[in-house]
Amino acid sequence: MTAEMEALERRMDSLQAEVRRAMVAGDRDLARALRAELNECRSQWEASLTELEGQAPEPAGSHGAQGPILPVREQVHQVLTLLGAPAAPKLVIAIHDALFAGLLPGARLTSLRRDEERSFRSAPYARPYYICAALTAELLSPARGLLAVSTWPMDRRIVGPLSPRVDFLTAAIRVAERFRDLYRGNSGVSPESRRLLWRFAANIPRAAQSASTINPDEIIVAARAELAVHERADSEQRAESALRARAQLDDAEQLFGTGLRLSRLTSADG
Amino acid sequence: MNAVESRLEHIRGRVAPKSHNARTIAALTSNPGCARRAIMDAAGVDKQRLAAYSGFPAPFGQSQFAITRGNAFEAQVKANGCAELLRLLREHLGLSIPEVSYDDLNDVGGNTGLVVRHVRTRSLLARAVNSGSDAGTLFDHPLLRLQVAGRPVFLEPDLIAFQLGGRFHVVEIKSFAVIDGQADGDKVAAAVIQSAVYVHALRELLAGHGMAEDAVADEVVLVCPENFSNAPTAALLDVRKQLTVLRRQLARLASIESLLDVLPADLTFDLGMDDDGVPSRSPAELRDAIFTVDARYAPECLASCEMCFLCRHEAQGRTETLGREVRDELGAIDSIAAVLGLADGTLAPADDQAEAAGLLRAAARLRRECTGEAA
Ligand code: SF4
Repeated sequence: MTAEMEALERRMDSLQAEVRRAMVAGDRDLARALRAELNECRSQWEASLTELEGQAPEPAGSHGAQGPILPVREQVHQVLTLLGAPAAPKLVIAIHDALFAGLLPGARLTSLRRDEERSFRSAPYARPYYICAALTAELLSPARGLLAVSTWPMDRRIVGPLSPRVDFLTAAIRVAERFRDLYRGNSGVSPESRRLLWRFAANIPRAAQSASTINPDEIIVAARAELAVHERADSEQRAESALRARAQLDDAEQLFGTGLRLSRLTSADG
Repeated sequence: MNAVESRLEHIRGRVAPKSHNARTIAALTSNPGCARRAIMDAAGVDKQRLAAYSGFPAPFGQSQFAITRGNAFEAQVKANGCAELLRLLREHLGLSIPEVSYDDLNDVGGNTGLVVRHVRTRSLLARAVNSGSDAGTLFDHPLLRLQVAGRPVFLEPDLIAFQLGGRFHVVEIKSFAVIDGQADGDKVAAAVIQSAVYVHALRELLAGHGMAEDAVADEVVLVCPENFSNAPTAALLDVRKQLTVLRRQLARLASIESLLDVLPADLTFDLGMDDDGVPSRSPAELRDAIFTVDARYAPECLASCEMCFLCRHEAQGRTETLGREVRDELGAIDSIAAVLGLADGTLAPADDQAEAAGLLRAAARLRRECTGEAA
């Protein structure tokens, strides 16, 4: 990242000099084009800077008012444990914001899986759990943009073609249950959690009429009904791939997946 | 590398080729007779950049903001196992409940190489066709391939849905809004022609597996945000007409070889980048290089080709700037000054201009009579 930025900086310097030269020479056309290029460079540089910002450690006390702050990996673990299924960072954040205390800094999630893998590889099993990858059923490669927990059984971390829908319905049920408990315990239901629940309900047949009449029990019934349609085929696929993963992959690969091996691709393609 | 490829490579200069997409192919069909555009597109020239360095920057180009917004909307619709998309396909198009299977073709085991993704796309789609119901419904960013001007072009539709009425449907996700059932006509038209490109490419791919054309629906699904919200809505659009135009024009695209034959062997649009990526070639020199390739300017270029300001400048004073119809009417007369001269009789027509000159004089007389000008 920084090497890339340094190259950009050098390029910006030269471009700047060229713009000036072109201006002095009275070549407006060239100057205009060079300036466009310079602007392009500058916005790339800004984008890299924003990314760097996301990777930097949080300043101490930045969440002072929010009470004790758990490390990011623990916050993510909390959410994934509630969901019981692999989830994308966006969903993890939405659920955390709606149902848990404190703030989950989104930018830190981009590098979390990589950090966890590094930690695992340097001292395997030193931690009680790792935030790891979900594996694609056919190729056993890390599924794009999904987070999972290392202590889950292998088949739950596998995603086959039906799994995204199954996991969505599973998450809907878990979130609705949590919502119901909060509601019963009278610990107050935030508008955010209501909105979150509606986002699930709206996309499940017969789960709710409108955002205002939303009822967790109805959502659970509706999600279970659709789940029953997909569940069997999905779990068979997952179990089969889990067997293969355990037989073929080493420990680190089982958690973080494996790159594309051509032999596997061709055999999978038949 | 064969001779044609190495020539095209030399013309492009020392940069990676700019790849085609459905948008550029759709635009390509809007001026199929232009050799300049055909050469640049076949060589993978970055026209936007070339136009800027030749002193005539393009008046358009997708803004970074629009791209970001488009990507965010697409990600939203596809989030959580395509939850929103499934609802739309179920509600509007009757997709059945068991049809939820999702295959991600954005990469293959972490490998994003085009060829690998294309091979994988082919095998998954073929499997879906051959084994019927339970071998895939949603294919996310499949990678198709199409021959354009004798060169293969990779194309990436947003999504292909299978088993919608037993056929493949191209799904195009766009971030322009549909308000009270109405959307910007130009944007819809652009989406339709782009989708037609995908339908065509998908049919070509399936034909290789012995499938008839009608395995791919000639209706595409357009998904857009509705009424100032981010909530998506879907509509079916008929692309039959666009398909016909596209097919005819792809076939008509002159083979690049014959266009290359008439160009100087040392022609190049290289910008002369130094090590820091700063171009050193002068705009005038670039313009001269560009002018060696014949253009066929028409006002439509202004909406579809990055070179348009340069070509318009070049065509100044010529009949084509008045539009294709006028140019065709005037046949052998190509400068506007000549048209005016023939009309007021100050210029004597050549043999092949006699007929047009007669009409022009008649038109000039009528105009004078209408406006009451003295003869
Ligand atoms: S703008 Fe120029 S290069 Fe582009 S299509 Fe029109 S005439 Fe051809």
